[in-house]
Amino acid sequence: MSTSFIPDPLQMWRDAVTKLESNVNSLVTGSMESQEVVRSLHQFRTVSLGMEQAFEKAIGSYLSKVNLPSRKDIADLAATLQRIEDKLDRLLPAPPPAALAPRPPRTRRPTASAATAPQSRPADAAPVKPRRGAKRSGG
Amino acid sequence: MAAQTVEKGADMALIERLQLEVERAVQRSLKGIELLGAPPPTVGQTPKTVLHRRGTLSLYHYHATADEIYRIPILFVMAPTNKAYIVDLAPGQSLIEFLLGRGYDVYLMDWSAPSDEERHLKIDDYVLDFIPDCLRRVQKDSGETDVTLVGYCAGGMLSAMYQSLHPGGPVKNLVCLTTPVDFKKMELFQSMSNRRHFDVDKLVDSVGVVPASMVAAGFDALRPASRVAGQVRLWDNLWNDQFVKGFRMMERWGNETLPLPGGYFRQTVKELLWNNAFYEGTLRIGGRLVDLAKIKVPLLHIVAQHDHIVPSACSKPLVERVGSRDKEEVTLPGGHVSIAAGANAVKRMWPKLDAWLETRST
Repeated sequence: MSTSFIPDPLQMWRDAVTKLESNVNSLVTGSMESQEVVRSLHQFRTVSLGMEQAFEKAIGSYLSKVNLPSRKDIADLAATLQRIEDKLDRLLPAPPPAALAPRPPRTRRPTASAATAPQSRPADAAPVKPRRGAKRSGG
Repeated sequence: MAAQTVEKGADMALIERLQLEVERAVQRSLKGIELLGAPPPTVGQTPKTVLHRRGTLSLYHYHATADEIYRIPILFVMAPTNKAYIVDLAPGQSLIEFLLGRGYDVYLMDWSAPSDEERHLKIDDYVLDFIPDCLRRVQKDSGETDVTLVGYCAGGMLSAMYQSLHPGGPVKNLVCLTTPVDFKKMELFQSMSNRRHFDVDKLVDSVGVVPASMVAAGFDALRPASRVAGQVRLWDNLWNDQFVKGFRMMERWGNETLPLPGGYFRQTVKELLWNNAFYEGTLRIGGRLVDLAKIKVPLLHIVAQHDHIVPSACSKPLVERVGSRDKEEVTLPGGHVSIAAGANAVKRMWPKLDAWLETRST
């Protein structure tokens, strides 16, 4: 694209967004140095957390009355299932690694240049040849 | 004549620019509608096997893609505040995929939201239980006694703590990425957790597990305008599929910040932020003093020049204090996250990590 003498309004807008972001960040983080602001934030957090807990308690007692599970009940159930899975994981014998898939030999050596000068090795050395058909079952 | 040519060129430039902006405006509208119904971006696609799962911990083994691999396997330790797919975002944007292609055998410790039963987990549990347990499993699975430990952010801190307490253990090399040591230099976190106003015991005792929203709010407070500015930039770049894809993956990662076990959070605030015990050398894990000078293995510490979460002043003391003879700190341009993922990481951090590891992995 040719250069223009007319300023690009969209580019100006983008620059303004970046500048505004930087200024707001500086202003807010600067205000965090004030202990008054920090104290107010903590007070706000304490109050909002208290309200949240009171609300959850009220919802919990309502759900209990209408015989419905709460999020906590579901989470507890999930945790129980997870514990069973974990226990199975520990009880079941692990298949020997070789049974899962043949693994490549651990014989790879660094490139000659790296071996002689590790700190100055060029970053874009030739990549290794990809191994065809990695056979391990995956999750 | 020359003046006329310049004027004509300027007119053409203006017309081209207008055309481009109209095209982009149309694309924004179309793609904006698509975006509304789009599913979350797929992440963490590199094939892997879940070797072990226990509560909040998952241990993965990634499938080798090279014909021949280095003898020493790598075990990644992710920070407990975030999902590990930041190092495996998408094909072509995955540090894991890169390392597999370079011939490494890669394992990774990932975290999920701790359950209410795990609210008591402390730093001690991560350092003295999860990490050694995973190291044993990596040794058993790989058949090798030596392991390279790579920790990102708090994962690096946990790895350094582990190594200082187990200098004769299986760790052959230690790599830390943007790892905090001197917590007094985290000025905003210091201010936010000021002990005169912040009753951490009251908070932890009331919630058990510190909610993800609270953890995320702590990070957001460091750059409060950036989330809104990010949305504005997303709208501006809606026509650009690559930008949108990258943005959405990073946004998903940020939104999936994990809750923290209350015990871990309490210890972090009291021991690390208030007492600066890791830096002062007074931190006790399992009753034993954490002394960085006891780390003797080769160490690489990669720090980010523009890290707003772990400023370089906070991470610098790591290399200064360890007892390793083979140690190196590298400061790379970029931020706390862009040092590990994104175009900046592909160009700078990944090759540096590979160059350092390859001579120490045989």
